[in-house]
Amino acid sequence: MTQENEHKDVPKELLVPLERKEDTSEKISGPPRSFMQDARRTFFKNKFAVISMILLVIVVLLSIIGPYFNEHTMDGQDLSRAKMPPRVPVLENISWLGLNGTLTSEFDGDTVEDATKNAVMRYDNKEDFIDIRVLAEGDGSKDSAEVEATYHIYEAQEMMDQYYWLGTDTLGRDQWTRMWLGTRVSLIIASVAALIDLVIGVAYGGISGYYGGRIDSFMQRIIEILVGIPNLVVILLMIIVLQPGIVSIIIALTITGWIGMARIVRGEILKLKNEEFVLAARTLGQSGGKTITKHLLPNVAGIIIINTMFTIPNAIFFEAFLSFIGLGIVPPEASLGALINSGFDVFRLYPYMVFYPAVLISVIMIAFNLIGDGLRDAFDPKMHK
Amino acid sequence: MLRYILKRVFYMAITLFIIATVSFFLMKMLPGSPLSVENKLSEAQQTIVLEKYGLNDPIPVQYVKYIAGLVQGDLGISFQFDNTPVTDIIMARIGPSMVLGAQALVFGTVLGILFGLVAAISHNGVLDYTSTIIAVLGTSIPSFIFAGLLQWYLAVKFEMFPVALWGTYEHTILPTIALLIFPMAISARFTRTEMLEVLGSDFITTARAKGVTEFGIIFKHGLRNALIPLVTVVGPMAVGLMTGTLVIEQIFAVPGIGEQFVTSVMVVDYPTIMGLTLFFAFLFVAIILVIDLLYVLIDPRIRLTGGES
Amino acid sequence: MKLKKVWFLALALMLGLFLAACSGGDDGGDTSSEGGEDTNTEADSGEEDTGEEEASEPEQVMNFINGDTIPSMDASMVTDEYGIQFLGATMDGLYRLKDGEVVPGIATDHEISEDGTTWTFTLREDAKWSNGDPVTAHDFVYSWQRAVNPDTGSEYGPYMMGGVIKNATAVNSGDVPVEELGVKAVDDYTFEVTLENPVPYFESLTTFATYYPLNQKFVEEQGDKYATSTDTLVFNGPYTLDNWESTSSSWELNKNADYWDAETVKLEKMTYEVVKDPQTAVDLYESGEIDRAGLSSDLVDQYSTHDDYRVVPETSLFYLKLNQTGSDALANVNIRKAISKAFDKEALVNEILNNGSLVSTGFVPKDFVQTPSGEDFREANGDLVTHDVEEAKALWEKGLEEIGQDSVTLEFLAGDSETAKTMNEYLANQLQTNLPGLTVELKQVPFEQRLDLDTNMDYQIQFAGWGPDYLDPYTFLNLWLTDGGNNKMGFSNEKYDSLLEETATTLAQDPEARYANFLEAEKILAEEAAVAPIYQSASAQLVRPSVQDVYVNAFGPTYEYKWASVGAEE
Repeated sequence: MTQENEHKDVPKELLVPLERKEDTSEKISGPPRSFMQDARRTFFKNKFAVISMILLVIVVLLSIIGPYFNEHTMDGQDLSRAKMPPRVPVLENISWLGLNGTLTSEFDGDTVEDATKNAVMRYDNKEDFIDIRVLAEGDGSKDSAEVEATYHIYEAQEMMDQYYWLGTDTLGRDQWTRMWLGTRVSLIIASVAALIDLVIGVAYGGISGYYGGRIDSFMQRIIEILVGIPNLVVILLMIIVLQPGIVSIIIALTITGWIGMARIVRGEILKLKNEEFVLAARTLGQSGGKTITKHLLPNVAGIIIINTMFTIPNAIFFEAFLSFIGLGIVPPEASLGALINSGFDVFRLYPYMVFYPAVLISVIMIAFNLIGDGLRDAFDPKMHK
Repeated sequence: MLRYILKRVFYMAITLFIIATVSFFLMKMLPGSPLSVENKLSEAQQTIVLEKYGLNDPIPVQYVKYIAGLVQGDLGISFQFDNTPVTDIIMARIGPSMVLGAQALVFGTVLGILFGLVAAISHNGVLDYTSTIIAVLGTSIPSFIFAGLLQWYLAVKFEMFPVALWGTYEHTILPTIALLIFPMAISARFTRTEMLEVLGSDFITTARAKGVTEFGIIFKHGLRNALIPLVTVVGPMAVGLMTGTLVIEQIFAVPGIGEQFVTSVMVVDYPTIMGLTLFFAFLFVAIILVIDLLYVLIDPRIRLTGGES
Repeated sequence: MKLKKVWFLALALMLGLFLAACSGGDDGGDTSSEGGEDTNTEADSGEEDTGEEEASEPEQVMNFINGDTIPSMDASMVTDEYGIQFLGATMDGLYRLKDGEVVPGIATDHEISEDGTTWTFTLREDAKWSNGDPVTAHDFVYSWQRAVNPDTGSEYGPYMMGGVIKNATAVNSGDVPVEELGVKAVDDYTFEVTLENPVPYFESLTTFATYYPLNQKFVEEQGDKYATSTDTLVFNGPYTLDNWESTSSSWELNKNADYWDAETVKLEKMTYEVVKDPQTAVDLYESGEIDRAGLSSDLVDQYSTHDDYRVVPETSLFYLKLNQTGSDALANVNIRKAISKAFDKEALVNEILNNGSLVSTGFVPKDFVQTPSGEDFREANGDLVTHDVEEAKALWEKGLEEIGQDSVTLEFLAGDSETAKTMNEYLANQLQTNLPGLTVELKQVPFEQRLDLDTNMDYQIQFAGWGPDYLDPYTFLNLWLTDGGNNKMGFSNEKYDSLLEETATTLAQDPEARYANFLEAEKILAEEAAVAPIYQSASAQLVRPSVQDVYVNAFGPTYEYKWASVGAEE
């Protein structure tokens, strides 16, 4: 009774009927975005990934058009211009860049004259074109004096009108041209090999991990056998069966290359397949194939991408190794790996021969890795903001 | 558990048997014989040399003899080294490779995990990018360039370490550093990816909510889960490292097994190639078994399905 | 907070690594000096010695590297450079090479019968095996019989002795028993050899590894294990090989106290380590750990001004084999000629090899043998095949017309070492550029595979080389006999065959006529353009000045150490 009395204090006018409004708690406030749009947004927010993307596009473009920037060709040999250092118009005036077409090295001797004599002998006896800077006066004892000699080889060879932007190799071929043609070859090999690895590896690992049991252990046995045979043996067989060339290199790379991917995908799937969402999908009658492609694979996309980003450098270096044992690119064609390989032998004396291809290969790798990271974050819903 | 292991060992034997068979017939398909090293033998002599290596028998007979030899641990006689059993060659060369490989693996993965951890914790921070760059450089620059630079600067220029050769512990340092770059980079990458994944998952949030210390979260909850995929990568890497890498062994003049394998391939010394192939295969399947057992230890969600049905 | 902890851990680990490294270094410090640092301490110990009263004699130790392991130390079986090298250092044959001269070894003297086919060697009586047994004529009989016995499976035995020693070929093919071989121990110290035909260079043949004696009792005791390790070897030469097994990557040679001429041997010890990478070898040289390092042509640029830089001339020839059965084009003599003239050898030798190698214009090397009139063989015949692009082009056009094609694709088979790769690319480019319509496909394979392809004649053009086995032009010219074991390119010329046949039979004892035949035969090779000569090799090295009296042989063991000694540094 008392309660009723309390209510009586409220004026009746205040009690108005509730106006029916739409329920907004479930409403999406922003404009609707699909998963892919979200992913794209996250990706483009990542500065490093974007820069890498731009760099990679430039590298790809240059590998297509770079060789035509000058009149030199892949196999344009001329021993009279072998081992020329890099020289670039305009930039040649900035000495520290090392693009001014000079060779510099340090020479020892008992006295300064002695060291100078060594330097002159080393540089074709063309004294007029050699600048000597004394580093240590020396006291007449063995190799106590040290000079730094700078050899203006373009002047000495009367080639002042010539510019080899990245120098020439031991056979006098233009490194710029060869480097971009090599990049082209390396990129083709690596991306095709990586793609094949990805397709086979994901399919194999996915099926093996998801179905488990007998299928899994059978498929794992096959992998064990394949991995158990060293690559070299497989490659040896390739030498006999196939003619050396890009296609056989790709085959050699993929014949065992997909295994790493398959193992990783299997490991991930094993981990994920007991999660609730998979159970839910199965309970709802989703088919095995659909469960793998719709539910499991998107969840392992990150690790697949990262692994692919590692397949690419692996492919590039494995190709270099193949060149080394005779199944690689057939000369005079070259790949980045082959260029580094041959430049490495003279890297203390002509560092530019290995420096530019090595830097380029590193740039390509770093770019692939950072893009991989960017994609990984982009595909991860938890990273979307 | 024991039943599972026994079963796996049985599978291992089958795997090795198949590898032995496959590699035997692959070798028979390839050209070359002990005769190919020189070509000045008369017909009569060729028969005798072939007889010595049992190569006059029909191939199935050779195969049975080879497998029978294998069972007794006999891998045959090398073509390259007169009258030297392949097992002797392996024993003579495996030591240095094992030492280098084990050192590189241990230091490489431990450093790699640390780099990966640091990167994951400071996600998108300066440290993340620094360690990512280190990892990327590690996988991007060929090991022989590292080896060459190390040799040039640390050994030739600053004379801190021996230039090359094998003998004392000092000799192992430079090749180990050159070798560990790759496993380090790989483990750093995987640790980072996995750590990020794990640290973003619900159970970590729960643990945080329950007041678990950061240290506990990272090491007890995070790292343990993050290491699972790493184990898959480290296994094969371990075999690769222990069985030696040609280039490093060549640059530092280490008398290792990788170098021997490539030499054998170059001189088409089949018994040695097959012997080493089987030896590598054995190491590999053994390590795979260990990894699968490790899986069970690290991740309780994975059950030993192999033992059932 | 969290970061600090992680970093602390990382730091601790890194420190651990480096501490381990450093402490390991300390441990190793003492032991490492036993091998590597010996050379370093040479000078020091010299100084110390002067402090004491002993004379400042340098320690008689040399440290070397070897390009690979020693695959065989069995004198009958050995075929490779390293086996021959270390057999040479540890064994003494009938004769020995000293700086190009043949000097007495186990034999003190020999007599040759009137018809030149019976050689009777008088052996010294003081020669002993390292196990104490005397070295007798029976050891030679056993060894030579073993080398040609088909059961042994020796490769060099029939090659070096076939056609030289009576019945060697017949014994080897199993037609007559081993006892029929033309060797006999008249008594313990008189050894008689019967030859098929007079062999003017037989004396130099006896310095070769296949002709070394073997201790029958010891070899038979060891059976299959013979010559697989130090324990299963016995020596009669200036040094003994110690700490060696066939898979060893390091070993040493020590002075053999039982050697009959031990007082001539000054060197106490040589250590060897296998090092394959030339850059590593040079670094070891620079750090003083080794006393000699070969330079690849890339390294020559860097070290040609080094005080210790040496060029060692060699007598190996390198050339292109043109397989006449491999293609229609190569069966045409004008096309072969065009190829042999189309590439610039001068530039190849100076710019690519860059190590003192010489342009080769013939089929017998320079500074190898002299004609009876004392003229160098090469001088006598002059430059037979020279670089001439214009002529090559004309010949090429003519050849193409004759075979009725306007373009030709040829496979170029070659080795795969670094220097070889550069040369291959250069030669392929030269041929393609200078001979319009020619496409060259490069096929680079390891040495053993190349031999295999060579044996099966499965190539068109092949980059190949040959080093002499004895001191006579025959060692080079017999390669191209119709049935020559190393011909393998379908070259056959009756006149050539008969000219060479005469030098080994009817003219064997007439040097003048013999050499006239050799000279004429070589001209035929040039006319037929059988092979295209490229260069005669030399090797560039860094050698410590203290390494004295190490002779470089034109054939057989690369280095002769019997007279070697460590001199004062400067």
